[in-house]
Amino acid sequence: MRFRIYRFDPEKDARPYFKDYTLELGPSDHKVLDALERLKAQDDSLAYRRSCREGACGSDAMNINGRNALACITPLEGLREPVTLAPLPSFPVIRDLVVDMTQFFAHYHAIRPYLLNDEPPPERERLQSPQEREKLDGLYECILCACCSSFCPSYWWNPDKFLGPAALLQAERFIADSRDRGTAERLEFLDDVYKLYRCRTIMNCTEVCPKGLSPARAIERIKIEQLRRG
Amino acid sequence: MRLFSGQRAFVLQRLSALVVLAYLAAAALRVAFGAPVTLAQWQAWAAQPLGAALLLLAAAALIAHAWVGVRDIVLDYVHLFALRLGVLAAAVAGFALLAAWTGFIVLSHAL
Repeated sequence: MRFRIYRFDPEKDARPYFKDYTLELGPSDHKVLDALERLKAQDDSLAYRRSCREGACGSDAMNINGRNALACITPLEGLREPVTLAPLPSFPVIRDLVVDMTQFFAHYHAIRPYLLNDEPPPERERLQSPQEREKLDGLYECILCACCSSFCPSYWWNPDKFLGPAALLQAERFIADSRDRGTAERLEFLDDVYKLYRCRTIMNCTEVCPKGLSPARAIERIKIEQLRRG
Repeated sequence: MRLFSGQRAFVLQRLSALVVLAYLAAAALRVAFGAPVTLAQWQAWAAQPLGAALLLLAAAALIAHAWVGVRDIVLDYVHLFALRLGVLAAAVAGFALLAAWTGFIVLSHAL
């Protein structure tokens, strides 16, 4: 199988380039990450992130044939050759397929991804009804791989000011949480020409989310909640 | 009211779209199913107080809608502060002129 992989080592290379590889796949090579591991054995200068190898950690998010995805759960079968692997679009490249996620996580921290509740804690835990818990479905599963934010044109134009689909989905995860008491301040924080309202409902985020979530829907819910509260 | 509220522009854009859509739909139905519409009949209708008011409302909605759109494009793509200020000022001036011109045409026939 043929691969074209984005290579860039800032200590050696003046500019990025694509390097071609050919690989004889083994019987146990099913996913893009399997191929990357073999290529790494051939060329140990190749850099990429990976950890859980089963789509749970989000470390190996990258652009595969023009579409953001997790290498560990993307089947090799059916991919157009040469399979082009590139770092997440618009994120600063540290080396090869490894990108700098600093800004991405700064946006995540900005939405205060934890429960805001000053009420005295109960003896055991803050309980939810099954219906209240159900509202978190489609939100809590986000693994912060950045496939969505990196594939969002609005995020490309204003990555420093627009929070991006991942952070906004996480914001909705806490707005929708019945145990959270910070909804009003969360909504006020997000009522900003950049933070939330750069979203144009392009829906690339929903299109590429490897967990099948819909950040676009979460963003819409935040806007509706803001309208409802005036 | 927050100076950089995103919601205000978001709501304005959608409400203005509804107004323009309603006006265009009503005009299309009038042309499709009403009596033959000539330019003179159209001008006469727009010179009536109700016709003039509706036309001005639709024009105002269209200009407001276009302003939010242009502002969004500038916020997205024009990052240099001085250039952004210049483009936004030019857009405001252009839309203000357009509004004044539209108002002048409609009111000069209506009054």
